[in-house]
Amino acid sequence: MASELRVNTLKDASGNNSVGMSTVASGSAKVWGLFNGTGTIAIRDSFNVSGITDLAVGKMTVSETNAMSSVNYTTALRSDLDDAAGASRTYNPEVYARAAGSFNFVTYSNSAEEDHAYDEVAVHGDLA
Amino acid sequence: MASILKVDDLRGNTAAGNVTITSEGGSATMQLQQGVAKFWVNFNGTGTPATNDSFNQSSLTDNGSGDFTHTYTNSMGNVNYFSVGQGYYNTGGNSALIQWTLKNATGGLASYLLAASIRVDVVYLDANQNRTNYDYTGNWGSVLGDLA
Repeated sequence: MASELRVNTLKDASGNNSVGMSTVASGSAKVWGLFNGTGTIAIRDSFNVSGITDLAVGKMTVSETNAMSSVNYTTALRSDLDDAAGASRTYNPEVYARAAGSFNFVTYSNSAEEDHAYDEVAVHGDLA
Repeated sequence: MASILKVDDLRGNTAAGNVTITSEGGSATMQLQQGVAKFWVNFNGTGTPATNDSFNQSSLTDNGSGDFTHTYTNSMGNVNYFSVGQGYYNTGGNSALIQWTLKNATGGLASYLLAASIRVDVVYLDANQNRTNYDYTGNWGSVLGDLA
């Protein structure tokens, strides 16, 4: 049976390590995901991601199951791939459009848009 | 009236690994476990590397200049997790952005992104994103994903 507990503050049984529920809610990541941006793009694993859309080479939309309350949220991204020689490479994607329920990002390599095998994203902020 | 719950172990009633919290705006719910960072670290990479503070790190290994391995106390459930980090360098009033990032080297991602650990480069990026490994004083990283 589902149960609901309404509480303002959590502490351990000794009364230490106090954390308010507002901190728990606001401090939790609202989205994280690891995507394969090559070929037919795919979600490797994710949280609060309803889907991803391939827009163009290097460009993707991430849509959220539960939208943020505004566009005033933070994003953190990185992309990785194994190059033709089998060496791991890391790049810095950029978010270039954002809405409450989705955002678009682009991955580059040497200033050229490029699909990467591992696109990592995370969002912090307020859910609607 | 303010309320305080004193407890050492929070578990879901229906599924132990699923405790639900209500969103800030009140219109959605989310799984508490999914939003919690599974690892974070702040460390000094110069000399003998020293961890200033961390969560879920059992050891920090110095592999070379700007080359570190963070081993988790509790492993991730798989390698499909998010990681990101930065560093900070300031000398003579000039600061630069440093990246704590997955190691770039032969062997590929499978050699460095593991469920039990992550091997990272701490690098300075120039305007063309060329990387130079270096031991900096301030470095930090975090991980989101599924614990085992």
